[in-house]
Amino acid sequence: MSSGSNGARRIASVLRPSIADPKVCRSCQETLVRRNYSSAAAQPSSESTSTATTTFPVVKPVYTINAGVALSRPPQITRDLSQFEKAYYFYQKRLNERLALPFTKYFYFKRGTPADEDWKRKIRERQTAARDIGKYNAYSKDAWNDELLVGAVEAEPEHQVEMLVQDAEATVNATSQDTSKKEEIPRPFPRVTEADQKNDQRSLNRALQRTLYLLVQTKEGYWRLPSSPVEQDETLRLAAERTLAQTAGVNMNTWMVGFHPVGHHVYNFRYPRVDKANGTEHLGEKTFFMKARIMAGQADLAANTQNLQDFKWLTKEEIAPYVLPQYYSNIKNMLAER
Amino acid sequence: MAASESSRYLARSLPRAFVPTARPQGFCLRRNVSDQASSKAAPADLNELESASSLTSTTLSEATAKSFDPIARTKARKKQLPRSRYQFRSPKYDRGPLHPHQPPPPSDPSSRLYVPGPFSLPRVEQTYQSTVASDILTLCYVHNPPGFKPPPKAPRLRSWDDSSPYHKNRPLRGPRGGDVLRLLRKPINFNNVPQLERITIHSYVKQAAQENSSWLHVAGMAVQAISNARVETFKSKTSVATWSIAPGRDTVAVKAELRGEDMLHFFGKLVDVVMPRIKDWEGVKGSSGDSSGNITFGLEPENVALFPEIEVNYDMYPPKMIPGCHITIHTSAKTDKDARLLLSAMGIPFYGKMVD
Repeated sequence: MSSGSNGARRIASVLRPSIADPKVCRSCQETLVRRNYSSAAAQPSSESTSTATTTFPVVKPVYTINAGVALSRPPQITRDLSQFEKAYYFYQKRLNERLALPFTKYFYFKRGTPADEDWKRKIRERQTAARDIGKYNAYSKDAWNDELLVGAVEAEPEHQVEMLVQDAEATVNATSQDTSKKEEIPRPFPRVTEADQKNDQRSLNRALQRTLYLLVQTKEGYWRLPSSPVEQDETLRLAAERTLAQTAGVNMNTWMVGFHPVGHHVYNFRYPRVDKANGTEHLGEKTFFMKARIMAGQADLAANTQNLQDFKWLTKEEIAPYVLPQYYSNIKNMLAER
Repeated sequence: MAASESSRYLARSLPRAFVPTARPQGFCLRRNVSDQASSKAAPADLNELESASSLTSTTLSEATAKSFDPIARTKARKKQLPRSRYQFRSPKYDRGPLHPHQPPPPSDPSSRLYVPGPFSLPRVEQTYQSTVASDILTLCYVHNPPGFKPPPKAPRLRSWDDSSPYHKNRPLRGPRGGDVLRLLRKPINFNNVPQLERITIHSYVKQAAQENSSWLHVAGMAVQAISNARVETFKSKTSVATWSIAPGRDTVAVKAELRGEDMLHFFGKLVDVVMPRIKDWEGVKGSSGDSSGNITFGLEPENVALFPEIEVNYDMYPPKMIPGCHITIHTSAKTDKDARLLLSAMGIPFYGKMVD
């Protein structure tokens, strides 16, 4: 798997007889030879004669092989729940309250302590030990009335978080010695950030619930994932790492996931371009995308060598209007749904 | 016979349009999904369905919604409503399939076996689904080129060589070098990406046998508090004179098994709250594991005390009685290497020599 053995592999492939199947690429041929030596040992005599007899040059149509990078920032926070999930979880919580054994208060609060007094006051208010199911007494005669009415906010996660924080604040204020100042417990950070409100698509601090992908804009104005041709004697992964450094700069802490591409895109020219020098027919480009994750840093096009204009961090749906339809239909299945 | 034959030949020689068909050629009543994709309007019977869900629809007027008070309505009722299915009680004993009084299935809230839940969508689960699973799938991909045939493998169980007449009808021999049959590791696909299956928290309390049972009670309370599951107690199976245990006499250990939501919440707390706060801790040893994808590590008593559930009322536990514990993480991976890949992706550090 490591790229260090590449040279050794090539030497070994020269020494060993090869299976000349035009559909199988160079490295795969080596794999085939290496893995089933028993079957390969029987074949080489006939194969080598057939390759030796073809003396006239066969001109094959040629594609440019590109290495692309699907650089992504994974989701940072949990997703928003759907209406049904909120209602379902809330119903299950109240149902649990009815079916579970009562809260063992004596184990958590010593009698006569300020915490105990605080607890008594709270339980009088909300009638249950749970802090996130609203005012509901599971042991009363009216326990059957456990459904929320229209417009109730108890099932909303924001409301539940607020209740938990207020409960903690009340405990801190009731049990502290110093009654003059009020303690403030920090609220969780908002789930919608400033970049979301401004729709700043260059920021990595946006769409925290979704996976973001790096898109770059070429000189001609086309948007695409960063990619560049694979050079001679370069593996796909090395080419992808080089592409990333050449396009979005080195100011990023990235991790390439594995050594295999996760998707590919084939672009055919309208008319094949014939190279005058050696008579090869150039049909188009094939781009293989490697998966990568960004850990820290930010893309920077200042030092790019591909004349790129702009970059954006976009979710899967936001990519669709920016890229060509054919391109999107090729890459969409390798992009994460969330 | 001859007449039917001739008509068949005739039908074959005629052009397609003249051949009489079984189906009437007139107005076609058959509908295809592709026909009505967008060209025609939705049929009338679909229009009757509500487009919005009942959870969001607000066709109700504000005043009606405000005035609706189920408790007041019940109080105002003169006559009691007849008793409904709500009063149904599941039979205490299962008297077999032929008894007229059958218990409801365990998923029914009126069943005695019903356990409510889930109560949330755990963060660990969401991270696994959105990030970890797809990365593991990419990392474990093995490319097999066209024409690749996997090399033949020796059978897992060897046959006898029939050198002796006593080999007849013997069961097959075990693998060479030991008689343990390891799990088969299949290539990792989209449908067998390793995932967490269950977590076992086990605590052997030495003093439970040597001193008194209060140690075991405290250990049980602590493990229940951090795991949100009932513990089981276990008696000693062996006799060790120095630990003063005899088989079947002393209750010495507690164990809790976590699955599903409980397991994921526990794993989240362990990785994000407890592990970063353990002092001078390098991680889980790389040689840990039972070579079939289950990883075990231990927590010292002072590390167990770092769990938020114990910290919140630390004073209520008798000092020095909080137990240490062994935590086994059972994964669906078939080898330790895959299990370690999964766990390190989910945030557990490993150190030292990795043994697969």
